[in-house]
Amino acid sequence: MSKNSSTATGTSVSSRILLDAVTKHYPGQSKPAVDGITLEIPAGKIVMLVGPSGCGKTTTLKMINRLIEPTEGRITLGDEDVTNIDGDQLRRRMGYVIQAGGLFPHMTVAANIAIVPKMLGWSKEKIKNRVDELLELVSLEPAMYRDRYPRELSGGQQQRVGVARALAADPPVLLMDEPFGAVDPITRQRLQDELLRIQEEVQKTIVFVTHDFDEAVKLGDWIVVFSEGAHIVQYDTPERILNEPASSFVEDFIGAGAGLKQLTLNRVRDVELAEAVTGSPGEMAQDVLARVKEAGDGHAVILDENRRPLSWPSRRQLSRLETIPATPDAAIPLVTQGSTLSDALDTMLVSSAGAALVTDRRRSFVGVITVEVVMEAITRSRKASAMANDNDSPVGTNTGTIEVQGGTT
Amino acid sequence: MSDVLRPQAAVGTAAWKGLVIQPAVIVLILAAFVIWLKLGNLSATERATLNPGDLLAYTGQHLALTFVSSAIVLAGAIPLGVLLTRRPFVKVSGVILALANFGQAAPAIGLVVLLAFWLGFSFWSAVVALVVYAALPVLRNTMVGIQGVDERLVESARGMGMSSFSVLMRVELPLAVPVMLSGIRTALVLIVGSATLATFIGAGGLGLLITTGVNLFLPRVLVSGALLVALLALLIDWLGRVVEHYARPKGLR
Amino acid sequence: MILWNYIVDRWDQIWFGSWQHFSLVVQSLILATVVAMVIAFLVYGSPKFSSVANGVSAVGLTIPSFALIGILIVPFGFGVTPSVIVVTFFAVLPILRNAVVGLQGVDRAVVESARGIGMGRIRTMLTIEFPLAWPIILTGVRISAQMVMGVAAVTAYALGPGLGGFIFSGLSRLGGANAIESVWVGVVGVIILALILDLLLVGLGRLTIPRGIRVKK
Repeated sequence: MSKNSSTATGTSVSSRILLDAVTKHYPGQSKPAVDGITLEIPAGKIVMLVGPSGCGKTTTLKMINRLIEPTEGRITLGDEDVTNIDGDQLRRRMGYVIQAGGLFPHMTVAANIAIVPKMLGWSKEKIKNRVDELLELVSLEPAMYRDRYPRELSGGQQQRVGVARALAADPPVLLMDEPFGAVDPITRQRLQDELLRIQEEVQKTIVFVTHDFDEAVKLGDWIVVFSEGAHIVQYDTPERILNEPASSFVEDFIGAGAGLKQLTLNRVRDVELAEAVTGSPGEMAQDVLARVKEAGDGHAVILDENRRPLSWPSRRQLSRLETIPATPDAAIPLVTQGSTLSDALDTMLVSSAGAALVTDRRRSFVGVITVEVVMEAITRSRKASAMANDNDSPVGTNTGTIEVQGGTT
Repeated sequence: MSDVLRPQAAVGTAAWKGLVIQPAVIVLILAAFVIWLKLGNLSATERATLNPGDLLAYTGQHLALTFVSSAIVLAGAIPLGVLLTRRPFVKVSGVILALANFGQAAPAIGLVVLLAFWLGFSFWSAVVALVVYAALPVLRNTMVGIQGVDERLVESARGMGMSSFSVLMRVELPLAVPVMLSGIRTALVLIVGSATLATFIGAGGLGLLITTGVNLFLPRVLVSGALLVALLALLIDWLGRVVEHYARPKGLR
Repeated sequence: MILWNYIVDRWDQIWFGSWQHFSLVVQSLILATVVAMVIAFLVYGSPKFSSVANGVSAVGLTIPSFALIGILIVPFGFGVTPSVIVVTFFAVLPILRNAVVGLQGVDRAVVESARGIGMGRIRTMLTIEFPLAWPIILTGVRISAQMVMGVAAVTAYALGPGLGGFIFSGLSRLGGANAIESVWVGVVGVIILALILDLLLVGLGRLTIPRGIRVKK
């Protein structure tokens, strides 16, 4: 974190979290729900806790902000031992997001976001500015949404407000408990992209519980795979978990198509794009066709004055035209630099060209991505992850337990 | 968004119609009653019993019984209901609700008479009986209202660092308000109705007109009493509905 | 002890009063259920009539039972008639409200598919809609039962049948022998009857609610 400004817009220093031999034993149950877990959450990273239901991942998360009090062990936030400080005070320093946002239906969007800043005694002016800033951060127009009530928002919008509320007092840590579990797949994908974008900006330490392995691969810098009793089966990068699952338990959990899941790991911006012959509306079609033939390409990309793709005619289509029309073709395969390779592959498969046009954030054309490039990326990331060393791996073990080898109990 | 907002608006106007019609009907019946008193061929005894001063006095007694009992019910049953939803008491809450439900089956008239035998024939015996009788709906709805608050909201509030007290005041109680208010309205209507029975233990009220009417066979006096009590109950019910309408937190339908 | 002796001495009388009380309530409830279901059937299709029915039900419940008894003594005199009318009137209200809500809650798709396979309006109502709405209607019946047990006690003022007589006779013999015992018998008797009837209604639910729509606890 080179940024150390803690202004309203800036990011506060994110903190490493360390669970040290933490156990949760519920009275009347013979087995502990969480069994002597030692887990390091590196600062500024997204760590995903995944595992089957009832494996103790949510309990582990809730012990970080002490919604559930640990029976044994210590919890450190940054350099501070927070095991015994007042739980309410601790929670005001950690954002907390749950399914459907957990928004209070009797408060407006603004009032929901303002709760923690108010408890921290911020001035009205500062709170108001912060609310607007956060709404903008989560892509909701402040003037339009500030005074709405939660039920006047869609599920996705509610979830965004939930994230904004958790970020309100700029806490160094964000805890998310299956936040996107209740929305439809398309909205979920958008919210995930949004979270990644926000994280680029705010660089929080995020602990995220999910039962969806694809979500874990897409969002996580690190993934912790749990089995029952919060036993850590594997704590690794998504790449390595996909390539070298530690046990058959992890393999089963990944499910089929590990190779394809790799595509979720890489973004279009990470791979090399092919160049393409471009043209503009009004040009003679023959001239463009000549350039296409010279370059040995099959298609030309027609761009408007802002370099936004309009259409993508083939050689045959060009030969039938006289001048290039300005009409946009809604069916051209388009992806952005931020799309995952998996999304890009989906888009390509439905287009006849076996490739897709890539645009940047301002929707200007930057290049073409092809199926070959995608396949190459899979191979490359496999090799890379095999060679990566263990130096930077955070700690994650269970103490006082017999390691269960690959067994689902 | 407009399709989301429309139904609420529709509910709003329907609710408004009800809120306007009810007092209008009350006023209309009251006016008809007054005209009937003026024009009707009342016998001398009837006229003596139904003089405006006495009518006001009976109404006053009735209202006094109602308000004192209601105040005690609210002051007692709401905090008790809240307390029974707090963690140390959750276990006993089921038992207490069952007992209270059971007690609710007791006929109001029996309760009034028993308490009078015990505490004497007085205003306060009547108040105690009314309080016992009407506490249940308030108690029950307070508990049901708070228990009905989505647990995830409570957890969400705790997760943001609100203290338990703050969660109660800012999340649980505001969200329980609609259910609680409807319990309070039910209790008030019960109290107004049951206060009629206070006449049997010498605590006055509009019930006196009914018993007098029966005992002396003065049908008009009897009907007047019954009508006034019914109107009073409707009025209190209406006031309750108005309060419910305005106190319901915005953002809840 | 005195209470015990009182009960033993008057057992026949108490038994008879209880039976009459119970019988008054049950007969009125049956009548009320039929009336409420017929009205609900007529109004539930129209939002306007439904809201009128709900309004009548809500406002009706605010009328004090003692006031209604008083008014009915004038045209009907003392005795059984005003008691039955009052008890039935109050019993109809909660059942009506629940019946309307229950019928409106029946999935339209189910009704349409019943009509679609050629069931008539009445047959659909009897074999599809009422059975599906029955759990909610029965809840209304239970609420009514509990309420009118107490109402029936008040109707004793109009010299109606039942346990209310014990309460009023105790009151009228204030300070006399066995006055308080008489009231106790009336009050406790009504509570016990209410409990018995509620259990019977729960049992009725077990027998009549189709297994497929029973709410799992």
